[in-house]
Amino acid sequence: MNSFVKAVGVGFISLGLWSSTALAQDSWWKTAAQPYQGATIRGISESTPASKYVEQVLGPKFTEETGIKVEFEATSWDQMYDKAIKDMEANTGIYDFVYIEQDIVYTYLARNFLVDITKSLADNAKIASPDFKPENFTTFLNYFKDPKSGNVMGVPMEAFIKPYLYRKDLFDDPAIQKAYKDSTGADLKPATTHDEYTQIAKFFTEYGADKELWGTTVQASSSHPAAFYEFFESIAPTFGVYNWGIDGTTFAATEANGGQMNSAAAKKALNYWVDLLKYAPPESTSSTWDEVAGTFAAGRAAQGLVYGENAAWIATDESKSTVVGKVGVSLPPVEAGVMEAAESGKGYIGYYDGGAFGIPHSSKNKEASLLFLQYIGQASVQTDWALAGSRIVMNSTYDDPKIVDQDKKMNGYYTLMREDGKLFAGAPPFPFHSQVLQVVAPFIYKAIVGEIKPDDALDQAATAAEAELVKLGYRK
Amino acid sequence: MRQSNIGWLFLTPATLILFIVGFVPFIYILYVGFFDWNTNAVDPTLRWAGLQNYRSLVFDTTFLNSLARTLVFAFFVVVSELLLGYVLARALMADRLWGRQFFRTIHTLPIVVAPIAVGATWRLLCVPGFGIVPYYLKLWFGIDYNISTNAYHAFGTAIIMDLWHWTPFVTLSLMAGLTALPKEPLEQAQIDGGNKLQIFWYVIVPMLKPVLLTTVFIRLMDALRSVDEIWMLTKGGPAEATRFIGLHIWINVFPKTDYGYGAAMSLLTLYVTIVLSWLLFVAMTGRKGGAQ
Repeated sequence: MNSFVKAVGVGFISLGLWSSTALAQDSWWKTAAQPYQGATIRGISESTPASKYVEQVLGPKFTEETGIKVEFEATSWDQMYDKAIKDMEANTGIYDFVYIEQDIVYTYLARNFLVDITKSLADNAKIASPDFKPENFTTFLNYFKDPKSGNVMGVPMEAFIKPYLYRKDLFDDPAIQKAYKDSTGADLKPATTHDEYTQIAKFFTEYGADKELWGTTVQASSSHPAAFYEFFESIAPTFGVYNWGIDGTTFAATEANGGQMNSAAAKKALNYWVDLLKYAPPESTSSTWDEVAGTFAAGRAAQGLVYGENAAWIATDESKSTVVGKVGVSLPPVEAGVMEAAESGKGYIGYYDGGAFGIPHSSKNKEASLLFLQYIGQASVQTDWALAGSRIVMNSTYDDPKIVDQDKKMNGYYTLMREDGKLFAGAPPFPFHSQVLQVVAPFIYKAIVGEIKPDDALDQAATAAEAELVKLGYRK
Repeated sequence: MRQSNIGWLFLTPATLILFIVGFVPFIYILYVGFFDWNTNAVDPTLRWAGLQNYRSLVFDTTFLNSLARTLVFAFFVVVSELLLGYVLARALMADRLWGRQFFRTIHTLPIVVAPIAVGATWRLLCVPGFGIVPYYLKLWFGIDYNISTNAYHAFGTAIIMDLWHWTPFVTLSLMAGLTALPKEPLEQAQIDGGNKLQIFWYVIVPMLKPVLLTTVFIRLMDALRSVDEIWMLTKGGPAEATRFIGLHIWINVFPKTDYGYGAAMSLLTLYVTIVLSWLLFVAMTGRKGGAQ
């Protein structure tokens, strides 16, 4: 009897403690959101796995807790930029929060598009959540700080590196290993140099001639900026060409003026990359980031550079991927000396991509949006979000047992990101990002389709980039 | 007199709306075209440039290539749609055609599909590696069809897509025109011993001229400003093979934020469209303008 009474008593006490904690947690968001109840905030983002999680899970949960409705538009990359920038330029205030990709943040800052989150929370302590702590984020947050004030301008929502994925099942197959050894004289293992990568690509293309299997993916759409990004942010750095080959001080692009865009290293990189098309499936010249992930998931390529946001579903989601349990992860191949430069902080071997949500100056619901951004910036929501979108923006997320378990299924993608993320870098801090991209990209497209030779493409691209920078007033 | 005043009153809202959405932006674009204005420049303010934007256009090979490409595209699609549309109109009017109403409905369906959906669908059909068009062309004819590497394939596909989408509009217009033609002149021509070609050229075409002119104008102007379908199909590629003028202007105005230059391009394109329409009008009517 006594034990029964004790058990009931403990049960009641536990229930009381649990409910008071839960109520206390609820009450902060409810109390803070009280003045904005019934408001609707609208956001726009690129349709990525991480964004879809916000749309389908975090938005509704926030609404449930605060009474603030979240309308979320997950659309294509082009549409996202087009709509968000037009809205901010015209000051129409359609969107209350927008996706800021890491490479465009400097343009937004230069044009004063964004609300200063640190300052806004300091000015309005009532809506500053005790659970939102910028120090909890990885160093990726630094890309979304105003370089002048150090204040936070965006809350990171996804962050990933672009690793080298390979078909572990094929690479580990003894028969294939023997065939590769017989064919090349080398052991079959993930490439660490560009020559090795090409050799593997060539081998698998020949091996897979009747199997719908090719040697590599290439993100080489002949009319989409994705090709520009693959070359300048993923390939060129592995040849030691950084910041798109543009000198950040003089804004020179041509080698003659001190730039690197048409340097020997850059030309070697473009020749290597265009040459890989021989060993890539036919859709490669139409492939942006999504299609590359699709190609790899469909089992059509033995290896490739694939944006990490897709790594989780490729490696674990059987409803979308035919290569579940067959994906190996490694660092991209590099030229001699590049890894050492990256390790010493003088260079990088690939792109640390991702984005944050920021609040446009034109927003009509800034306070409600600040609450939402803090809500998605809590440590407690990060794990499930990471599981859904293979994105990690907080150090604590790496240690969560669920993430550790998923990391095993992904053959160490998260470990690679945690340990070697420092070897990758975000886009250069250029406020003229889109302008230079539009000028240079057509030359990359022409090289892809063979209209001009890669060397000529880079010579012309560098000259055009400089001319554009002169026109914009960055270069005299 | 009183009726006339009331008429003006009714027209006022529409006139005001047209003034605001048509005339005011036009004047604004005209104004911006004389300035150097890029919000991403070190100096993001409007700076007087005089005729510099227009001078630069004359030497801008990318712009001129885009314009030339657009004119070729417009020529091919308008002529093809006119010919195909006429043949289909006659076929769908034939009394002996079994299931005529059904074919008319099927034939008309593409018009109601949004251009963006048309572009996306054709892209799915044509994308190398997965699309059924490259698959069957390879299987049946051994053709390596690839709209992302072959400029001719991309350009040809853009034309075929436009034909698929807009020929039904021409067919419907011509069917309406043909149905309304008086029978007497045709019977008279037959009695006079004219053959089919003569009757077509000397009787039908002159009587159809108003409908033909309207249809051609509408299709010409549409073809000259094709953007959404092409964007979805090829994004202007491979390289710049299908970067038509509408796309080129969009790229300069939005991602490049080169507003002054974009405005100058828009105005020059508008001018070219007006001149072409005028030339067409003169060629088809023998008059130099104005309504009879």
